Amino acid sequence: MKSMDGWIGAIARAVARRTSRRGFLASVGALLVGGAAAPLLPVSRAAAERARAAGEPDPATPAGDPDACEYWRYCAIDGFLASCCGGSHTSCPPGTQMSPITWLGTCRNPQDGKEYVISYNDCCGKDVCGNCFCNRNEGDKPVYYTHKNNDIDWCMGTESVVYNSTVALVVGVATPSEHAGKK
Amino acid sequence: MKRALLLVVAALLAGSPGWASAPIDYMLQCQGCHLADGRGAPGKVPSLLGMARFLTVPGGRAFLVRVPGAFQSSLSDAKLAAVLNWMLAHFGPAESAAKQPPYTAEEVTKLRRPPLVDVAAERARLLEALEKGPAPLH
Repeated sequence: MKSMDGWIGAIARAVARRTSRRGFLASVGALLVGGAAAPLLPVSRAAAERARAAGEPDPATPAGDPDACEYWRYCAIDGFLASCCGGSHTSCPPGTQMSPITWLGTCRNPQDGKEYVISYNDCCGKDVCGNCFCNRNEGDKPVYYTHKNNDIDWCMGTESVVYNSTVALVVGVATPSEHAGKK
Repeated sequence: MKRALLLVVAALLAGSPGWASAPIDYMLQCQGCHLADGRGAPGKVPSLLGMARFLTVPGGRAFLVRVPGAFQSSLSDAKLAAVLNWMLAHFGPAESAAKQPPYTAEEVTKLRRPPLVDVAAERARLLEALEKGPAPLH
């Protein structure tokens, strides 16, 4: 028993000689602060978001980049891109409400060559965003065809009619009828 | 077969852009306001749920063709008939939809004009008739 006592005492003294309390505190501190700061570093999370979604064109090309006006889903858009205004191409910026009443059209996805039904939902309730105006208007009809005109404020069915920006949601695949191409 | 051929010819003549299915025409022509589930927006856009009940009162069959969203749409008469038939089956009630013959392109051609001037009043009249119970159809 006495020998064990002496043996443990010797180890403890050896450890104490090699390390310092300040050094220990410094390393624990560095670990705490560094660990907390790690998520703040601008590592490539932006790039991770850009990973190609299933069925979408290459995000490195404009047709596959939801921040670009050339993005394939924006073929009939007329407004500010929600992806440029604090939201994404499918979600409205914080503080805005997505209008359920929408303008719908079709866009061709270059990835698979199919026509998709796109719903352009306006984000409403905050002052107009002003970033990334995009006005492509494929299939847009004059204002006397109200339901096929995208110049009007589609903030309907929302608490506020104030327009902020627009998202582009895929709601279906539109298969052309056999005779569609002949016209 | 003859009728199917007629429908195809009618669709070609009308020159509508032509999507293969009524649900897609519903999406592109109706869903923007009536929403995917047909419930509309209270006070702004009428609900389509239970729209087949209109078929059970006199004037209701014509009403569904003559509402602005229907008669003003860019759909041909054949395509409008197809969308209406799909909507009746989809939004029900099934028993009302099943009792009535489906719309045909010819019928839509006849009913589509003249447009309703006061849509809300006609709708209210029909809903009142529905409240009173089933009436003999003419």
